[in-house]
Amino acid sequence: MSKEERYIDTFKYFLLPFCLFVFGLFALMLAVYFSASIPIFQHEGIKIYTTNIWRASENPNKEFYGVLAAIYGSVYTSVLAILIALPLSVSFAVFVIDYAPQKVKEPLIVATDVMAGLPTIIYGIWGAFVLVPLLKKYVMDPLYAYLSFIPLFSFKPVTGYSYFSAGVLLGIMVTPFASAIIREAYRSLPFMYREAIYSLGATRYEATKILIKEIKPAIVAGLLLAFGRAIGETVAVSLVIGNTFNISPSLFAPGYTISSLIANQFGNAFIYKYMVSALFAAGLSLFFIGLAVNILGILILRRYGHVR
Amino acid sequence: MSDNLNIRILKEKLFLICIGILTIATVFPLFHIMYSIIANGLPVLIKGGWSFLTGTLAPPGDGLGGIGPAIVGTFILTALASLIGLPVAVLTGIYAAEYPNSLIGRATRTLLMIMMEFPTILVGLFVMNLVVLPMGSYSAIAGALSLAIIMMPYVAVYTDEALKSIPPKYREGAFALGLTRAKVVFKVLIGLARKGIMTGVLIGIAKVAGETAPLLFTAGGASRVYFDGLNRPIGAIPLLIYNLVQQPYTNYHEIAWGASLLLMIIFLGLFLPIRLSLKEVKL
Repeated sequence: MSKEERYIDTFKYFLLPFCLFVFGLFALMLAVYFSASIPIFQHEGIKIYTTNIWRASENPNKEFYGVLAAIYGSVYTSVLAILIALPLSVSFAVFVIDYAPQKVKEPLIVATDVMAGLPTIIYGIWGAFVLVPLLKKYVMDPLYAYLSFIPLFSFKPVTGYSYFSAGVLLGIMVTPFASAIIREAYRSLPFMYREAIYSLGATRYEATKILIKEIKPAIVAGLLLAFGRAIGETVAVSLVIGNTFNISPSLFAPGYTISSLIANQFGNAFIYKYMVSALFAAGLSLFFIGLAVNILGILILRRYGHVR
Repeated sequence: MSDNLNIRILKEKLFLICIGILTIATVFPLFHIMYSIIANGLPVLIKGGWSFLTGTLAPPGDGLGGIGPAIVGTFILTALASLIGLPVAVLTGIYAAEYPNSLIGRATRTLLMIMMEFPTILVGLFVMNLVVLPMGSYSAIAGALSLAIIMMPYVAVYTDEALKSIPPKYREGAFALGLTRAKVVFKVLIGLARKGIMTGVLIGIAKVAGETAPLLFTAGGASRVYFDGLNRPIGAIPLLIYNLVQQPYTNYHEIAWGASLLLMIIFLGLFLPIRLSLKEVKL
């Protein structure tokens, strides 16, 4: 083939713009968050992330915003969610793959898939009207009554809307998602491993202990991605967290998360000069936390060959 | 020796009981949610009757009225989002599948996965800044745009995987006939992969039909007017539920339960047939 006749893949050049459009969209998103945050950075600098003050005022000079409480609440509730999701999702994966009777295996997996896809507002209304009163009556009130000397339980659960409620609801929501990743990794372990372990006379408990060690990276990745989901969740959390500027170690105290702060305050933010910018800056922090956690999770999955 | 064995067997029994209980604990909330939604929502649907589906929102504290505008809004938003999002998504998916080892192909796959996990409220805020501020009003088109951005990665990833799962002999056969790459993809491969692509489309639709956060500051919500033009605010079922739950009125809570039951039926109606026809899904 001579040089003039070299094959040009026109198809590739036809598709390329669409691909680049998606990249452009993502880059534009980042650019919008940066540029919209600039006014607040000029107004108060890094204090937007390091203080817990929310002072809206007609007079722009008196306005001051610090979203530390929201960042704290986001991390706190998501960590709670992960602590709940860890035992549940690993047990579920192991039980469904190795020990569940054939008949219930598939229904169990379908049930968790439905849970993973269920509109989050449905978790929200259930959380606000059903879960919170239950948690308050059977968990928070007794713990407060008998163990309130421990700082974790020291806040009197007045309404029940709290970090704890949000963490439990998020835990329920992200467990199916984490367990889907862990399940796939656990399923893909070669059958030979199981045969070898059992041939040594191991009990099922001992066999599982060994097999679980093999999929540790997938468990870490699954929990990281679940953390990313939890921290980005908006409506379900905002209905159960209490929406209060508060930084407290106590589980039963109300708080804010970044996304619920945005959902709650954005509607009336335009009356003030800097509030919109402050909320975009809060969004920017969520942008980076989410991005970091998700990239790390995806990298771990790739590194260990569990492609998702 | 036999004591040791007994302890090991005891441990095994305990272990099996433990993970059995934790497994039940994992799925139990689903049944509790379904029970709560049906127990609270069904009486509302029965009491409200046909007009619950067609009427407009009742005044605070006075009866049920209907959620017609929200239902219409959800269908319009979902349809518009598909119209905007699907072409880009399918073509991006084709690129990732056709050029899997190129730099852009690999980067695209990673980007799609990141976008799948991206907080949806941030997409809403982004579209708000880009569309709502210049237009000066919440609008159906802004809502549809943010839903399109959220739907896109699902459809693209499914398209990519559906194309990659086609046995290479079909591709080779098509090329051997002397077809160009475009013809190979559009005339041969897309046809073979249509089930996988359709699955992605339906999953994407099921996903965005239930989204609330990206609509908060884009669609704006409308509960007393039906469709009023693309540049006017529009309602959606999830958005309506979110707003009603936060109101202090009992009748609004009842309407929210009724709307939740309807939303759950729509979601299950879309999702269960797909899920039951497949081995696994990505959400």
